[in-house]
Amino acid sequence: MIELLQLPFMQRALIACLVLGVLLAYLGIFVTLRKMAFFSDGVAHAALAGAAIGLLTRFSPLISALIFSMLLACLIYWLEKKSSLSSDAIIGILFTSGMALGIVLISLRKGYQPELLGYLFGNILAIRRQDLALIVILAILIMAFIIRHKRKLTLLALDREMAYMAGVNPDFYQLLIYVMLACALVLGIRVMGVILVSAILIVPVSTARLFSRSFKTLTIWTAVIAESVMIGGLLLSYYLNLPSGAVIVLVGSTVFSLTFIAHSLRRQRRQKRQSPTN
Amino acid sequence: MPPVLEVKDLTVRFAGCTALEGVSFTIEKNAIIAVIGPNGSGKTTLLKAILGLVPFQGEIRLFSKPLRQVLPQVGYVPQRFAFDSTFPLTVEEFINLTCRTPEKLPLGGVLDEVGMKGFKGKLIGELSGGQLQRVLLAHALVHRPRILFLDEATSGIDIEGLSDFYSTIQRLNREHGVTVMMVSHEISMVYKFTDRIICLNRDLISHGETRTALTREVLKKLYGDSADLRNHSHD
Ligand SMILES: Nc1ncnc2c1ncn2[C@@H]1O[C@H](COP(=O)(O)OP(=O)(O)OP(=O)(O)O)[C@@H](O)[C@H]1O
Ligand SMILES: [Mg+2]
Repeated sequence: MIELLQLPFMQRALIACLVLGVLLAYLGIFVTLRKMAFFSDGVAHAALAGAAIGLLTRFSPLISALIFSMLLACLIYWLEKKSSLSSDAIIGILFTSGMALGIVLISLRKGYQPELLGYLFGNILAIRRQDLALIVILAILIMAFIIRHKRKLTLLALDREMAYMAGVNPDFYQLLIYVMLACALVLGIRVMGVILVSAILIVPVSTARLFSRSFKTLTIWTAVIAESVMIGGLLLSYYLNLPSGAVIVLVGSTVFSLTFIAHSLRRQRRQKRQSPTN
Repeated sequence: MPPVLEVKDLTVRFAGCTALEGVSFTIEKNAIIAVIGPNGSGKTTLLKAILGLVPFQGEIRLFSKPLRQVLPQVGYVPQRFAFDSTFPLTVEEFINLTCRTPEKLPLGGVLDEVGMKGFKGKLIGELSGGQLQRVLLAHALVHRPRILFLDEATSGIDIEGLSDFYSTIQRLNREHGVTVMMVSHEISMVYKFTDRIICLNRDLISHGETRTALTREVLKKLYGDSADLRNHSHD
């Protein structure tokens, strides 16, 4: 364990997991409440095109993916507002096209393309120092913003009209949450890959929702579960010598399943106690 | 004194249909106003236009000011509140979400007012329809609004709750000078508790004092022959 923590790449991966776990899982509370799971998954997949542009132009793939996906989030927001297309259609088309563009662009490079797999499924060995710095700084900025505006964001996710009546500018905050979400997802790509990253958005909060009896306990448990799953998954992947992103997701879904089973059993037992006739 | 609410030549069009056309009226301070009309007559649309929730043509002034400035003084109970009912949010957390005025009322008092004392820790997704309606009213009252808009706020509330509800409204109106504009289908309650009435059916059919404006002819015009004031006795 100690020697593990002395490996520089492992240190970076652990810090990244700690920061990303709490950031993505916290955003996940709003994502599941406002039903933005498809948006999140879509933006993450399309970010592949952004990363590919960075690779081809020898610019930082992380930064170009960030810019690309934030622009994409703005485009989705604008199309949802201005066009009569359904949100599902907009996201579905942009997301597959973005991903396809990414694959084509990466294939333009000659020879073997190890990067493609890394972007698809994550590669903790590829987290460089400057990547980590960017991840930590942006994550802290986004977290600070969400915590400061938690009330407004929750209201907006709950009901748009109610948010408006409470003096929240719904359009502005909707755009903001889209952009922050896009940014947070791209930060997670190095660890989880574009395909798996949205799991950390959905799984911890869905697990916590099974048993939480208030918004406050939901928030706390979401963060606790996310951190445990990220760190547990990362360490397990190291010992088993398996891809980290995939192991993290499997650990998450195992925790979810066990919680779900335990919760159902407990509810059944309680119901039985309440009706002794059957 | 300037009127609390002025609506001039209000027209609301949705894609392919006109919900309201050329509606004008004014509301004086301290009144309880009922908005009545058949389904689809534009009652909800009228409230939403006043609150700036739908785009409209015409002129609307609330407390003689543009809406944005007076929004904190407005309470609103929507006709439908569709939210993710599996989301864990307690009644207390829900009401505190919206509350931003420092002079807000104590939560216990407001919940007591709507007969929901002791429900503070209950999840809003697990309330019955009528209970949710009461919580929504508490939610609209907690920041001491000067004007209340209620869109069929009593739907699903039981008989005892109904008279409590109307007496709460009446007391707020008499003691705190809150102006109330309510959409309702309960003609007998409208007759008993409201001062003025707005009868809508895309355009304004009549408006004025409840006892004089709510005539048999108006009801017939609104609802057809089946409507009869005798069925809604007002003893
Ligand atoms: N968002 C919308 N888009 C298109 N048409 C709408 C929209 N909202 C309302 N309408 C139309 O406007 C008209 C008035 O609707 P409104 O909801 O104001 O009726 P209402 O008087 O409140 O009816 P009810 O008694 O059923 O609540 C209806 O014909 C309805 O179809
Ligand atoms: Mg209505």
